[in-house]
Amino acid sequence: MTNARHGKQLLQYGLVLLIAITLNFALPRLMPGNPLALIAGVDVGLLTPEERAEIRDRVGLDQPLHQQYLTYLGDVLTGDFGYSYRQKQPITEMIMARLPWTLLLTLSALAVSALVGIILGAIAAWRRASRLDMVLLNGMIVLDSLPSFWLGMLFIAIFAVQLGWFPSQGAVTPASGYQGIAYAVDVMRHAALPVLTLSLLSIPRVFLTMRYSMCSVLGAEFIRTARAKGISDWRILVRHMIPNAMLPVVTVLALRFGFAFGGTVVIETVFSYPGLGRLIFEAVSGRDYPVMQAAFLLFTAAVLLSNLLADWLYPRLDPRARAA
Amino acid sequence: MVSPTQAQTQARTIARPAQRRQPRATSRRLRVTATQLTAAVGVTLVTLLILIAVFAPFIAPYDPAERVGRPFSPPSAEHALGTNDIGHDILSELIFGARISLAVGLTAGLITVVIGTTVGLLAGYFPRLGSILMRFTDVVLVLPFLPLLIILAAYLGRSLMNTVLIIGLLIWASTARLIRSQVMVISSQDFVLAARSLGATHRHIIIRHVLPQVMLLSIGEFVQVVGQAILLEASLSFLGLGDPLQKSWGTVLYWAQVRGAFLSPAWAWWVLPPGLLIGLATLGFALIGFTLEQRFNPRLRQR
Repeated sequence: MTNARHGKQLLQYGLVLLIAITLNFALPRLMPGNPLALIAGVDVGLLTPEERAEIRDRVGLDQPLHQQYLTYLGDVLTGDFGYSYRQKQPITEMIMARLPWTLLLTLSALAVSALVGIILGAIAAWRRASRLDMVLLNGMIVLDSLPSFWLGMLFIAIFAVQLGWFPSQGAVTPASGYQGIAYAVDVMRHAALPVLTLSLLSIPRVFLTMRYSMCSVLGAEFIRTARAKGISDWRILVRHMIPNAMLPVVTVLALRFGFAFGGTVVIETVFSYPGLGRLIFEAVSGRDYPVMQAAFLLFTAAVLLSNLLADWLYPRLDPRARAA
Repeated sequence: MVSPTQAQTQARTIARPAQRRQPRATSRRLRVTATQLTAAVGVTLVTLLILIAVFAPFIAPYDPAERVGRPFSPPSAEHALGTNDIGHDILSELIFGARISLAVGLTAGLITVVIGTTVGLLAGYFPRLGSILMRFTDVVLVLPFLPLLIILAAYLGRSLMNTVLIIGLLIWASTARLIRSQVMVISSQDFVLAARSLGATHRHIIIRHVLPQVMLLSIGEFVQVVGQAILLEASLSFLGLGDPLQKSWGTVLYWAQVRGAFLSPAWAWWVLPPGLLIGLATLGFALIGFTLEQRFNPRLRQR
């Protein structure tokens, strides 16, 4: 039963990946203009005749469309994203250089938003309908409406420029020669503001999920039983309520990973942070189409992975979901 | 699988039950006023912004596309929010920008709700077609939203029409899901069977009986989606993918970013106001949507 469901789910994700790849294949060929230029990402005039012949040959522009499609599919699935004719380097290399930075931001932000969202959510639910709860709830709804890139700009203006607490851009101090701990501190100082901004993007959702989940646990029979047994409030909160209320939060967190990954596009742009999101922005402004496409596929893969993680995690955490 | 709109709906759903689980009479009265307050704040914000957009030429002190002062001037008696890098009056830019941002939000919201409601109606009413449509809907839900938006905008070119279309075509999926589940409940009721046995066509039943019942839900969705669309338009324009000739609030922020306004004192008048406007617009629509949903979403009512 569950295996059939998992199979179906996997099939669905495979379909999404296929659609993303197909979009990548179709867009440059559907647009008006020379497909060669759209595939290469530079004006045809800027390419040497050898390069032109090489692209034509590799992509198979003189072959029938279905043949081209299969070639493209094969390349992508074997991890060959092609060559950036603008940057003069293989795209896979460019991506590998950027990926760690984006992972650093995304994972740290996820940890921060989990911690803050869960704690505040639990407090709000525990004291629900109090003034504190109302302030938190409304604050989160307002926070959810603010553009994240704008918050990033404000943080730079206040914490980096006015107060000078953090550097305003980049991932490391260029040519600093830092080693060991000094280097780690430098990386952390650079990541602080982007991580804060990215966390604020996810905290409201985690908070609202946790608060709702806690509220439904509050009315549960086993809590009343625990109370009747005379267990202290604190122990009920920590041992009985939070573990039970955490279940939906874990799913939300796994899904937020994919979302935060996409959110890095604007945030890395604001902080000039050398990650994948910034790469997509640079590729878009430089019309470097192959790089843009490769980054897009990576983002798709990240979202799918986080969905898979959520599917895999849930039945392991909740025995009821396994029985169903 | 959480797209912004879906997540927001989820957030509303989540925010609701706790507030109503209030046994004491005083807090119940408090809750009613709180809901009314929420609605009032939302309506006030949205009305105000729409009025600014409509009467922009009368309110704005200058033509937003004309060089009316020295570039990079700080706020003064002539220019309440200073001027930008090419001497345009920032306040006038923001007042006229309301037109673009709201127009994109409203049109994209309309497209979203029309697609979402149509897909939801068909999928909910015809189960077999529904499972195929929902498969497709799930694909749209899972695709990484912002990167896809950017890719499409980059290929299709920067114009207002493209921005509207891309946003509208990408965010309908959660609306479709919501409408579908509602239609499934409605069309399993006896009166549909009765109408069928009296010889009513599917088309007649959908348009005359089912659609009117999900209409209010669609309107609630519309209002919420508008807020999301405004936020998305801002992100796109901020990345330099908006219409270069039609300056929205996001475009103002784009230029502020490109010219490094946030590295100088200029952030206080060049960066702060446009972001606040985007936030207020999004919040205003979200609050109205929240109130409407509480009223019209049967799922929330019965809980």
